[in-house]
Amino acid sequence: MSRLNIIFLITFVGLLIWITLFHPSSVGRIQRGAMVILRPFMKASNELDGAINAVGKESLSPVQLREKLSSVEQDRDRLKLEVIQLDELLAENNQLREALQYRKKSPLSLVATRVISRKPSHWYNTLVIDKGSAAGIVVDSPVIIPMGDEAGLVGKISEVIGPKSAVVLLLTDEMCQVSAKLENSHEQGILNGQRGALRALPNLKLRYLSKEAVAIPGQKVISSGTGELFPANLILGEVLSVSMGIIDAEAVVKPSVNFDDLVDVFVILPADRSSDQPAAQSPARALSPSPPVTPAPPVP
Amino acid sequence: MKFFALLVGMILLSFILQEFLPVFDWAYGSRLMLVHTVFLAAAVAVPFPAMLGLALITGLIWDARYHVPVYPDDVVAAMFTQSEIPFGFTILLFGLSGALIQGVRPLFRRGRWELPVFMIGLCTALSLLIEYLVISFQRGGHEISIELWWKLLMTALFSSLVSPFLLLLLSRVAGRMRYRIPTEGLKRRHTYDGDAL
Repeated sequence: MSRLNIIFLITFVGLLIWITLFHPSSVGRIQRGAMVILRPFMKASNELDGAINAVGKESLSPVQLREKLSSVEQDRDRLKLEVIQLDELLAENNQLREALQYRKKSPLSLVATRVISRKPSHWYNTLVIDKGSAAGIVVDSPVIIPMGDEAGLVGKISEVIGPKSAVVLLLTDEMCQVSAKLENSHEQGILNGQRGALRALPNLKLRYLSKEAVAIPGQKVISSGTGELFPANLILGEVLSVSMGIIDAEAVVKPSVNFDDLVDVFVILPADRSSDQPAAQSPARALSPSPPVTPAPPVP
Repeated sequence: MKFFALLVGMILLSFILQEFLPVFDWAYGSRLMLVHTVFLAAAVAVPFPAMLGLALITGLIWDARYHVPVYPDDVVAAMFTQSEIPFGFTILLFGLSGALIQGVRPLFRRGRWELPVFMIGLCTALSLLIEYLVISFQRGGHEISIELWWKLLMTALFSSLVSPFLLLLLSRVAGRMRYRIPTEGLKRRHTYDGDAL
């Protein structure tokens, strides 16, 4: 090897070590810069993907669109009224909690966001959304979607890249671990996904169930709220099978959310996780307003 | 220098095109790693110092865009260590795979592309495998499934399928720019030259 090559090699190794020792804030700045440049292409790619998927699908006529809009407006008005009623109930609940010297509960504050990039990473199940620190999103904020009258857990924020972008680590990833329980049962465990993003919709594993656990195939799995990261009662999936180990049991769970069809998702802002108690509002209540909900007025 | 600037331009363009490339669920979530393929094709055509420069630029931009800061499970370990795959780790992978593929430069110059094409696929899969092994090492439990091998194989295949077009483009551009593919440091150890026949 020539002397020039050796000099370049040493310089390369030196720069490599220097870069790997970057402080997370410096890494964040670099990633923000890259995101600013590549964001238009990410959005264009996502729109192109949507356009391709829409080919061959039935499109609505103007009359049908008007009908749908009218129906959506009715739903919105109904939900607004529900929110007002529930806020009153929450205020009353907080008064009673105060009387019992419990900590107050705050309503869930949600931010509606749109997916701008799917599966960008090779080994992690992630997606990128179009809102970031400017909307109050922080690392570990739970991400949910409405599923009928309930809410399904999509994942959690793994990284906030600037004011207008954040990375969501999906529930199907091994590193997104959720404290979960079987519906209508006291059985609790830890739910997590699969390593390596090898399948589009992998089954999840509910580990550390007790040996006496009775799990019926088809039984719903919901978040328990004990981990303080995710609110309680979010739909996670349903049991497919259960296997007994030496000291515990493990269930295979089919996720309820279709992670391939995600377009709009909601991020739960951190204010509602300040409570030590799990947020007990129904997920339907949580999903009713799309912009951040004004917190309940302080109880005198 | 002009040729090097052109290669940097090609790599930057590949980052934009990479955004538009789909993930194939039928192929176990594999995709065409265009940036890796373009870098490796470029690494065959440049001297060692230039390859290191390209590895630095490509790896840095790749990590700026695709690095996911997932920390180990152990809270104490996470406080003192980097994320599972540290920022900048891809630069090392690009450097290693680039150094490996530099060994087939003479073949590329002589117009024999079979081995370079195979090596581009292999090096792409190898760098991904190293990433997976680093993740597995951090998390514990070696989950080496048949799906993983399929994912790597399909990724290598996609890279190998695209690389002949890139090599053709590079050799044409090099010819037009009167750039000669360097082979310094690679000495012939025998006298047989089957290609001359």
